[in-house]
Amino acid sequence: MYLEGLGNTLLIALIAAAIGIFIGVTMAMINYINKKTGKLKPAAAVCRFYITLVRGTPVVLQLMILYFVVFAFWDNGIMIGAITFGLNSGAYVAEIARSGFESVDDGQMEAGRSLGLSTWQTMRSIIIPQAVRNCLPPLFNEFIMLVKETAIVGYVGIYDLGKIPGLIQSRTFDYLFPLLIAAALYLVVVMALTRILHMIERNLAKSDRNRGGVRNGK
Amino acid sequence: MENNVLIEVRALSKSFGELEVLKSVSVDIRKGEKVVIVGASGSGKSTLLRCLNCLEDPTGGEIIFENENLADPKVNINIHRQKMGMVFQQFNLFNNKNVLENIMLAPVTIRLKRLRTEKRRALFKKGDKPTETKEQILAEEREKAMKLLARIGLEDKAEVYPSTLSGGQKQRIAIVRALAMNPKVMLFDEPTSALDPEMVGEVLDLMKQLANEGMTMVIVTHEMGFAREVADRVLFMDGGVIAEQGTPAEVFGAPKSERLKAFLAKVL
Ligand SMILES: Nc1ncnc2c1ncn2[C@@H]1O[C@H](COP(=O)(O)OP(=O)(O)OP(=O)(O)O)[C@@H](O)[C@H]1O
Ligand SMILES: [Mg+2]
Repeated sequence: MYLEGLGNTLLIALIAAAIGIFIGVTMAMINYINKKTGKLKPAAAVCRFYITLVRGTPVVLQLMILYFVVFAFWDNGIMIGAITFGLNSGAYVAEIARSGFESVDDGQMEAGRSLGLSTWQTMRSIIIPQAVRNCLPPLFNEFIMLVKETAIVGYVGIYDLGKIPGLIQSRTFDYLFPLLIAAALYLVVVMALTRILHMIERNLAKSDRNRGGVRNGK
Repeated sequence: MENNVLIEVRALSKSFGELEVLKSVSVDIRKGEKVVIVGASGSGKSTLLRCLNCLEDPTGGEIIFENENLADPKVNINIHRQKMGMVFQQFNLFNNKNVLENIMLAPVTIRLKRLRTEKRRALFKKGDKPTETKEQILAEEREKAMKLLARIGLEDKAEVYPSTLSGGQKQRIAIVRALAMNPKVMLFDEPTSALDPEMVGEVLDLMKQLANEGMTMVIVTHEMGFAREVADRVLFMDGGVIAEQGTPAEVFGAPKSERLKAFLAKVL
């Protein structure tokens, strides 16, 4: 039962992360292009509104609204949970990605454009890879947060890891033990993910130092 | 239009908000001509150069290149920029690409895009099947890039990332990266100003080679010795206008305006 809960937790977090990264990076890109070219003004305004709205309201409320109102017809709790957290995390990823884009030197876009590449061609080959690279650690950190935060999907009846103790306790009337096990499982997962995060950071630092030998991507 | 004029600048003006940086500048750049732009800091040299390929959008006037007005927003500027190489003070090599990829990126991207368009058109029977393949394009561009690297003696740096190179190496690579597009004109904005003194020579030598090969060049620089040697014409900019122009002998040897005399007294 714990394993199924753990599986659901990770599944929700993974799908949510994919949605979040897609939304967040797209919004940060719109913001960046708008800043560089002055085009896409309405789209940038919509993004700002979305970010304010999502960050200004508790995720529990967002989950309940999506679960009980928007997707009331749909009984796939895991997907609804994933979508909620994806939409939510998109707003946070957008902020992370924005700083990633801002850390890319202006000269990179100018060089691309001066060679006759379009804005989009330059974004794709030059700006996005550098922006993503610059914010990989905080992005991964956001994923770790997601793993923990998704525990609240239990509020809408999905069996993820955070919900299992309550379930067991209702059968055995033992409070402490199930909670401890769940906590331990979260701890193990988060510690493992944090290890990976540190590995990513070390690798980035190393390839910065000897870019001469390391090839990144194609 | 006169057949030997490559870029015709007519009444070009540029403002940043309230600040009027270029005030109705007109100048012709002829094919094969080496034009050096000098002037005090803030006089609008970079802005003029950057308006030529519309890295800055002009607020008024025209830039005629190959019978098209680049200042017109409807013109596809990308196509024209492919024929106008630009070299920056800060090199601006692509940090996430190695040296070879830096040189190949633009020609490969643009040729592959054209190839895809042609294939699509052929599919709908609107054109002939493209004769080249993706592999051919990649092989050709790689060979061209390696030749360019050989020219500057940096073949062994092909797989290396920009952060490991010296300033002089970076700038020479930036120059051949622009050459890979076979441009008709090269624009240089203070190409040696960010270099350690001992590396200025190697970059200027490469620029002299280009000049001798007949490349049309517009160069903003503080290297007066280089200007004297290479320039066909020197433009002195002051307060957003071309205040004086002529051969190096005229501008450096017999300055007319007080502003130019004062400027030369400071830099020579
Ligand atoms: N993007 C910009 N926004 C606002 N003002 C600008 C911008 N670019 C340039 N300026 C201003 O325009 C004026 C001319 O700048 P420009 O860079 O053309 O001078 P320059 O002759 O190249 O000087 P330098 O020798 O210092 O490079 C300066 O006052 C500068 O502050
Ligand atoms: Mg300048």
